[in-house]
Amino acid sequence: MTLKIQIIITVLVIIGLVYIIGLIRKHRLELKYALPWMGAGILVIVFACVPGFMDALSDLIGIASPVNMIFFLGFLFALVIILALTVAVSSAANGVKRLVQQLAILEKRNRELEERIKELSDEKK
Amino acid sequence: MKKLVIIPAFNESESIVSTIKDIKENAPDFDHVIINDCSVDNTYQLCVDNGFNVVNLPINLGIGGAVQTGYLYAYQNGYDLAVQFDGDGQHDAKYLDVMAKELEESRAAMVIGSRFIDKQGFQSSSVRRLGIRYFSFLIKLLTGKKITDPTSGLRMCNREIIKMFADVYPKDYPEPETTVKVLRHKMLVKEIPVVMRAREGGVSSITPKKSIYYMFKVTLAIMIERVRR
Repeated sequence: MTLKIQIIITVLVIIGLVYIIGLIRKHRLELKYALPWMGAGILVIVFACVPGFMDALSDLIGIASPVNMIFFLGFLFALVIILALTVAVSSAANGVKRLVQQLAILEKRNRELEERIKELSDEKK
Repeated sequence: MKKLVIIPAFNESESIVSTIKDIKENAPDFDHVIINDCSVDNTYQLCVDNGFNVVNLPINLGIGGAVQTGYLYAYQNGYDLAVQFDGDGQHDAKYLDVMAKELEESRAAMVIGSRFIDKQGFQSSSVRRLGIRYFSFLIKLLTGKKITDPTSGLRMCNREIIKMFADVYPKDYPEPETTVKVLRHKMLVKEIPVVMRAREGGVSSITPKKSIYYMFKVTLAIMIERVRR
């Protein structure tokens, strides 16, 4: 790995991290969902700055080229994030469903109470 | 004993009025609640104009979500017994008292109105019957219990099941899956023979294109339901 690509990778990841922190600051991203991305970013910086680390790791799991290991790990990471998002969407959908049901039941109750109030006030007159 | 009829309705303006009339005439002990699942016709307006008891969902939840709203309503309003009843004119309200009697006497948790015990009335198309027999076979295989009409939308539940369904209910094609759920909890499911009619209006939620997905999804759902704890 040349010094050039090491610098490029580090700079790109730092831009990414700053962007993510900006999103959290503006409340457009929950810290909870940002944590894996930030962790991955820091990991990439470590790999870029200490190339020996990457070589040792790819040797250890038996992948000939460190670049392939990066692809493999990146793909794995993306899959985990996507699955976590699907789970989050599922639970959000369930939450919305329950909200809608309860809202509709309360709306009915509200409608009936309003009618009752109207009846009562009509009786008074 | 408080009894509730849950009628999920999506674009049922052609049949909703006669359905409620049928219930009021033939099952006067039962209260009713219509769950209007974002109909795009005037179903809701018809219900309001006729003074029917209607819950109006602000977004479309599909059949599972609509029926579950009914169970939630039943639970929160202290009903001892609730029955699902189609708003399209397929079901006959004269069976409601028979089902309630069966539920009480046999101490069953759920009573299903089955088209296939006496094999009378509307029997569905032959392709659908084949699908229903397949589910019947699958349920027998996984639970050891014989359910002749696992897709029937005419089902009556006691309070325990009302609570269970109010908590968790599948989004689409819920009948076979929830039947297995009740059986899995070692509760009694009974069937009584009923005669159903062909629907008066509206269209079935299961179109030919969706039926492949339906078979697959329900098969998987039943199997997963069986291995839940």
